[in-house]
Amino acid sequence: MTTLHPASVAVRSLSRSLNTGFLFFVVGIVASPGGNGTNLLSVVGLVAIGIVLGIVYEFAYYRRFRYELTDDTFDVTSGVLARRDRELPLGRVQNVDIRQNVLVRVLGIAAVHIETAGGGQTEVSLQYVDEDEARRLRRQLRDGVSTDASDTDETGTAVRDTDAASAGDETVLFEIRPHELAILSVFTIDPGASLLGGIALSFASGFDPVALVPANRLGGLPGPETGLIAIAWGLLLFVLAAWLISAALTFTRYYGFRLTRVGDELYYERGLLQRYSGTIPLEKIQTLTITESIPFRWFGYAALSVETAGYAPGQSDSRGSESAIPLADADRVAELARAIEPFGPIDLESPPRRARERYAVRYLLVVAAVVGVAFLLARYTGFIRQWYVLAALAVLVPIAAHLKWRNRGVRLDDRYVLARTGFWRRTTKVVPYYRVQAVLHQATIFQRRRRLASVTADTASSASLLGRAATAHDVDTDRGLEMQAAIEDRLQERLRARQHQRTGRRWFRDGIDPTDEESATESDGEE
Amino acid sequence: MERLTPRVRVVWLLLALVRAAIFGGAIVGAAFGLTRTAVWESAPDVLVPAAVALAVALALLRILVAWRRYGVWRFELRDDDLYIERGVFTRVKTVVPYVRVQHVDSRRSPLERTTGLATVVVYTAGSRSSDVAIPGLTPTRAEDLQESLRQLAIETAGEDAV
Repeated sequence: MTTLHPASVAVRSLSRSLNTGFLFFVVGIVASPGGNGTNLLSVVGLVAIGIVLGIVYEFAYYRRFRYELTDDTFDVTSGVLARRDRELPLGRVQNVDIRQNVLVRVLGIAAVHIETAGGGQTEVSLQYVDEDEARRLRRQLRDGVSTDASDTDETGTAVRDTDAASAGDETVLFEIRPHELAILSVFTIDPGASLLGGIALSFASGFDPVALVPANRLGGLPGPETGLIAIAWGLLLFVLAAWLISAALTFTRYYGFRLTRVGDELYYERGLLQRYSGTIPLEKIQTLTITESIPFRWFGYAALSVETAGYAPGQSDSRGSESAIPLADADRVAELARAIEPFGPIDLESPPRRARERYAVRYLLVVAAVVGVAFLLARYTGFIRQWYVLAALAVLVPIAAHLKWRNRGVRLDDRYVLARTGFWRRTTKVVPYYRVQAVLHQATIFQRRRRLASVTADTASSASLLGRAATAHDVDTDRGLEMQAAIEDRLQERLRARQHQRTGRRWFRDGIDPTDEESATESDGEE
Repeated sequence: MERLTPRVRVVWLLLALVRAAIFGGAIVGAAFGLTRTAVWESAPDVLVPAAVALAVALALLRILVAWRRYGVWRFELRDDDLYIERGVFTRVKTVVPYVRVQHVDSRRSPLERTTGLATVVVYTAGSRSSDVAIPGLTPTRAEDLQESLRQLAIETAGEDAV
């Protein structure tokens, strides 16, 4: 059994005392003796108690925390008040991530997170272990996983140190180039950044929005009312702040992004201040997603993300860690995606033309609603006068409908379902048949009027909670039923093929001398 | 194709009525509050009748949907998969291969117990609401179904179900 790195007590205490210290600060303010005023001494005393409690707790946590890597499980014994023994079968490990923030990097330690498919959160977090120990754990968990995945019956293989072997067969798949990082930073909109931008602006203005608006200069300008310009100016500042922060965040997040392949695992590392690295076993990949968002598509760039079942839906921090390639040449992305899952050409079958009519009607209704709202505003408030000008938006309807229609499509490959959707953010999902969990054929009341339906191939991946499952939108009803049956047939077929392959391999291993590369390294390590 | 027990309509109708009563009570109450208090001085007189009409119309719609739902619901245990057809507005046809079944629950709410019905829930590892519930079964049929689904899931059990 191994303990955590001693320095983790200090680091954990620091973050813990920031929390508990703040809590006791609030408690001190609220429950301060002496009625009206806050007694400074008692508040400071309570904060000190909070910090001391935090340190004691963390010391106890450190003393109680033990982990061990056995042949087929990873065992963790932990807990100060409520104690817990946890055993993780190595074959069920989905991802192993290593995270380091600036402070932790200076101390030479790292946090290790191990994900499995079950549960709502990270199954095991080791905070913190030595950097080398973290790397060693990742390597050994991987080795455990790979042997376990290919041969579940074999036992008694001791934990091997395949340091030299794994360093040798590491192939670099992708390294972000400076201009790619620059484009990515400039054009990425981080939702969190807009909030931060707002906060930064309100600090900069000293919580007085008027301070940032040069009212005296606006007065001289010709045009309608100065109030509108002031609002526009404020919005401009806000957008600018959000954009700058977003660019900075994206830059630090993807700085030095590198994706390598070691044996049958992908390994990524990224980050300027916070250092992230992790493994994605190829065996556990559920879905590949190629994303071509609008500014990037114009420049011929695309992104690739890899989904496993490891991260629970809605789990914070999982965003980005599944991203295999944040941004690269579209051709290169396709090539890399094929290196992971060898799917055929993206030669999609478009939805029927009546789907396009459906979108046109939908957008026309949206325009009608906008015009209606404008009319009501004009009628009752006088804020807008020429409400009917908005009807010109109807010109955009056919264009929008056509673009939506053109960017949708589906293809049933021999081994994969490919489904594409979205104009602004075009995503192409690649789902291997043997990963499909259920097939849904859905037709809303409006789709049924036009004999259309949507077919969804549901997988266990974590990113499909927000309507992002591989869906063939608005296909012909009968064609949809055909697809549903075909996906199911091929799922069964692929499963049988894989089953056959596995039993074959096992028989091969038991019967004849191990000759494949993986087994060779194993026997080397066992000496 | 197997249909549900016709009695399930009683459960659905009762649920529809309860929901309609809660929602209708809320909007009619709000309309009443608005006209009687000084919140909205010039509230039109038609507000309360309009709210009542809306509540009644929604209740009727709910009842109609609950009734129609029975006509649409179908399921079948096929060779390799469980097939389900449901949905009044959005017609959903779901295929759940037995290989993917993680576990099968049978459950009975108080309302179901009084009407002598049961629901079987089939769980998969999928993330998109593909946990399938088959309502309106007699307790014996629910038990049978659960048992046969379990058997089928074991027979076809492949590798790691994820």
